[in-house]
This record gives sequence, structure tokens and C-alpha cells, in this order.
Amino acid sequence: MTEVSIERLTKTFGSARAVDCISIRIADGEFISLLGPSGCGKTTTLKMIAGFEEASEGAIRFDGKDVVNVPAEKRDIGMVFQNYALFPHMTVDQNLAFGLEMRKIAKPEMRERIAKVLDMVQLGGYSDRYPNQLSGGQQQRVALARALVIEPKILLLDEPLANLDAKLREEMRVFIRDLQRRVGITTVYVTHDQAEAMTMSDRVVVMFGGRIAQIGAPSDIYERPENLEVAQFVGQVNLVKGTITAAAGAGKSRVASVFGEVAVDSRTDHAPGATVTLSLRPEAIELKAAGQGGAQGKVTARYYSGSIIDYRIALDSGETLHVQTFPNIRIAEGDRVSVHAPADGFWLLGAAK
Amino acid sequence: MTAARRKGLGPLVLIAPAAVLLGVFLVLPYLNIVVMSFRTPGQGTPYGPGFTTGNYTKFFADSFYLLQVANTLWIGLITTAICLVVGFPVAWQLARGAMRFRALAYGLVLSPLLVGIVIRSYGWTILLGNAGLINRTLTGMGLIDRPLPLMYNALGIVIALVHVFLPFMILPIMAAIQGVDPALESAARSLGASRFTAFRRIVLPLCTPGIQAGCILVFVLSLSAYVTPSLIGGLRVKTMAVTVVDALIDTFQWPWGSALALMLSVTGALCVVIFARLTRMKWKVARP
Repeated sequence: MTEVSIERLTKTFGSARAVDCISIRIADGEFISLLGPSGCGKTTTLKMIAGFEEASEGAIRFDGKDVVNVPAEKRDIGMVFQNYALFPHMTVDQNLAFGLEMRKIAKPEMRERIAKVLDMVQLGGYSDRYPNQLSGGQQQRVALARALVIEPKILLLDEPLANLDAKLREEMRVFIRDLQRRVGITTVYVTHDQAEAMTMSDRVVVMFGGRIAQIGAPSDIYERPENLEVAQFVGQVNLVKGTITAAAGAGKSRVASVFGEVAVDSRTDHAPGATVTLSLRPEAIELKAAGQGGAQGKVTARYYSGSIIDYRIALDSGETLHVQTFPNIRIAEGDRVSVHAPADGFWLLGAAK
Repeated sequence: MTAARRKGLGPLVLIAPAAVLLGVFLVLPYLNIVVMSFRTPGQGTPYGPGFTTGNYTKFFADSFYLLQVANTLWIGLITTAICLVVGFPVAWQLARGAMRFRALAYGLVLSPLLVGIVIRSYGWTILLGNAGLINRTLTGMGLIDRPLPLMYNALGIVIALVHVFLPFMILPIMAAIQGVDPALESAARSLGASRFTAFRRIVLPLCTPGIQAGCILVFVLSLSAYVTPSLIGGLRVKTMAVTVVDALIDTFQWPWGSALALMLSVTGALCVVIFARLTRMKWKVARP
């Protein structure tokens, strides 16, 4: 298996820097996601790893060996494309055999490996079907099987679930993640869907404008976002203005805001008196009946969506909050409420770089 | 009930104008040609009384005409082959190249069709003739002593036909290539195929329908081309189309001309069928 190291990788198109000096170390067997809005350079990065796009500068090492000058077909990668890219004139069996033929694998072994991998993606009886006789989810699994049957060094996936409907997408997330764990293959996954990135990955690389904004475990990205941009991209977030009153030690600062004075986690130090922005996730907020302490406000909107309820709260101090709660509390639109936010629900944002 | 009747008649009404047009102006004349080819030659009239198979026995007895058919097929074949070889890369660039290049190239590809056929053929005469631009330039540069035989032979006809029929090869192939997802090539390469193998195993089979269409179009058009071969082939090289017109108009032998025309159609159709069989797609895209 393979360790991938991306070092100061850059891609320029004319004067535009699509990927700007990014470095990522991917451990053997790790599942890493490149997450970002369209145009952030995540797909270009993947294409450079695959060899479809030439790197302008920097190195891509598979187990220490620079592959920048190795053509795509010699990199020994398995790739899954957004639109599956199954060969329409070949059956499932022929699609899977293609990569093995290129590797001159003997017929009996070929049969064995195809059968094994089809079994793995639960498409045992489908080897004689043509791609257009399969559903979207099945085609996706064939694409996955075709990438895995060649036993590549690394698996690259380019928004593979983007064309599936919501329910199937969630099923496939779990399916791909389980499969990747079982095979133990180093995987790079490109997506613009933060939920997808977080549920599947060991680590997430958040990219904006060709640069890496943050690399970290999903919980790290969500709970300790590097800056405002990251915080907003990986989920709903309330921004609360505050003033530093004192450093509290151990990466904490005391911050005064409409929610009172609390000790807040942060990665950066701020001088007392500085105005800062705190992030507060909607699900960290607790609503109680009016007059029970905390910040006071009024419910302006309520959206019921089954497992949770979304509220918009207008605080008396002027801010608007987005709150998510379980549906077991009964608060109606127009009610006055007390808003409580625990100290560990806050995170002190650094300035965007 | 009226709705049901309307539904039943709708398609018929829609195809009626085309059907009438085809029936009156294509099928009937064709049938007439078939009948005509079995009539006897006339004395001072287009055809004589009664019916005969003589026109066909004459055709098969005289190797001159068989050779001429072979010649015509050969010219069609070479024209088609050259159009394919020259046209494919252009179609590729049109389908996959940069946008800026595309608009210009598209105009250039269509340009032969924008010039009238007679003017175009005379243009070639100016270029290819013994005292034409090419020969004079080459002689002037001292590269050749005598003019190269570029006109009044099969070579000249093929050059002119390739020029005018190239768009008919390029456009269907371009459409076919546009229908092939570029990600398929990437997929093939990620699986270990070289660029060439990816092209041969994936792209080429998928644009076969376009290649087929282009080849058939160019071949059929080449067989039936009249103006270009008659102007550039002159009296020495005659294709079947030229001979047919000679028989029908110059020598006024309608039965004989009809028989020749039919033999050209039959051999041409046969070639197309054989070609379609040989290049038949081995895969069928089954319905889901």
C-alpha cells in the first residue's frame, strides 16, 4: 500500500493559479477528502495526482517516488469519475477486464479477480449487462469495482455521488467508506458536499481559491475551524461579536458578548480589548422559556424537518440567531425565549488568511 | 372518438407531403428507369417497340463497361479513404479543440460547399492543368521538365472530389466524437491504457456510427458525381455517371443509359451493404 506526499504543488493556467502551492501528506490507507466550493482547485489537484493534468510546480510522491513525470497510465491509480465513465460499448465484465488486460493478467486470474470484486460491490449476477441497463447506483458500483479490480496503489474519486439522489447518496457514502476500510487502500476523495466529506474521511482538506484553508479530522474542521470561511463552509454557523477581556491560558480567552463573559477556545491569541468574532453552531444553543436567564429574544420563524426543528431567533440586542433543537421542546413562532449557549459551544475564529 | 381518429391519422398526415413528393419524383421515375432499361433501342426515337434483355447482355459482354464500373468504384473508394484519413483529425479538432480554433475551422470545412460546383471545378482546372499554376510553378523552379499529369486522369478527379466531399466526412464524424465523453479516455488511461490504446479500444468503436455515415455519404456522392469528373476527367477518364449522361443525352439511347444507370446503382448499393456489414458494431446498446 501507498503513502502519498504532495509537496508545494502548483497549477497555473495562464496567470491564474488554480492550485497554489499546496502540501498534503496522506498516510498509507488513509481516506482523505478535498473539500471546497467549485473552482477551489480540488479537482485540478486530483487530476494532477492522477496524471491527467500536468503540475506546474511541486512534487507528487507515491511512497517517496516523484511521479510528476510519469504518464497517467503508468501511475497505477484507480479512478472513479463523477459521471462514472463506464465504457458504454462493453459489458460490466468487459469494463472490469479492461484494466486487467492492460496489465496482461492471465485469463483464469482475471476471471477470479473480477468475480471477487463484483461480489464485493454486490453485483454478482450483473457481469453481462451493459452500463445503460444498470441504475445510477449500480453504475457507480461498477465504476468502483473497475477501479479496484486492478489493485491500484491509490484510489481517486471525483465527486462520485454527485449524480445520485439523496437517499442513494447516503447509502453509497457508507458503502464506499466500508469498502475502503476493508481493502485498506489510500484514498483521495473530491467533493463539495461537507456532510459527505465529514462522514467518510479520516481527514478533510478544506480548500478555497487554490489554497488549503485547513487540514484536519472532521471534528476538528467542524468544531475548531481555522477561520470564518471554513466555519461557514462546513455547516451552519452563528457569528457573535465579542470583546476579549483577558487571556485565560491553555489556548483560552475570556470573551464578553451578549451571552455574558465566557472562556472560549481558540487557536490564536488576542490582546485584551480586541474585538473578535465567535462562532456558535446552531445545535449548541439551548432555548428555554422567557425569563430564565441568558440572552432574551423572540422566535421569528420555525421550520420543522422531522429529526430537528430550525428556529430563527431575533435577540433583543439586535442579532439574529439560527438555532437547531430536537423536536421535543414546544416553542412556537412569536414566542419569547431565553437563549443559552454553553461556553464549549463557542469557538474564537481567527482572521481569514 | 374523434380524438382517437385524429391520433391514428396524425402521423400519416404529417408524412403525407414527403411521401407524395418521394412517390411522384423518386419512386415513379425509378420504376420508369427499370422499365426503360428493358426496352429495345430506337431508330431516331429514344426507344423502340417491345422489350429485351439485350441492354444487360451488352453490358456484361463488354469488358469496357465492367472496367468502367470498376474504375468508378475505385475512384469512389480512394476518395472515401482519403477523406477519412484527412477528415478524421479535422473532425477531432472540431469536436475537442479550443473554441477559438473551432469557429474558424468550421467555416473552412464548409467553404467548399459555398462555391458553385462548376466554378469550383474550373478552379481546379486552373490549378491542375498542364499550364496550370502547380505545373508552371514547378517547371519554373526547375523541379520538373515536363508538366505532371494532374488533370484528365483519375488523380485529378480524386483530388477534386476529396475537396468537395470532405465536409460530408467531417461533419458526421465530428458529431460522433462530440458524443464520446472525454472522461472515457481518462478512465481508460487510469486503467493502464496508452493514449493510442485508449483511442483504439474506446473512442474509435464509439464513433464508428459517424465514420460509417461519413464513408457511405462520400462514397455514394463520389459514385454519382457528374460535373467534377466530366470537367476534370475530360474525355480520357470517364466515370459511370459521365457515361450514363452521354448515353441518355448525347447519343439519345434511353434504354441503354437506363441499364447503365441501374448497374451503377446496384453495384454502389452492394458496396454500401458490404461495407455496413463489415463495420457493423459488434455491440448493441440494449435498452434498459
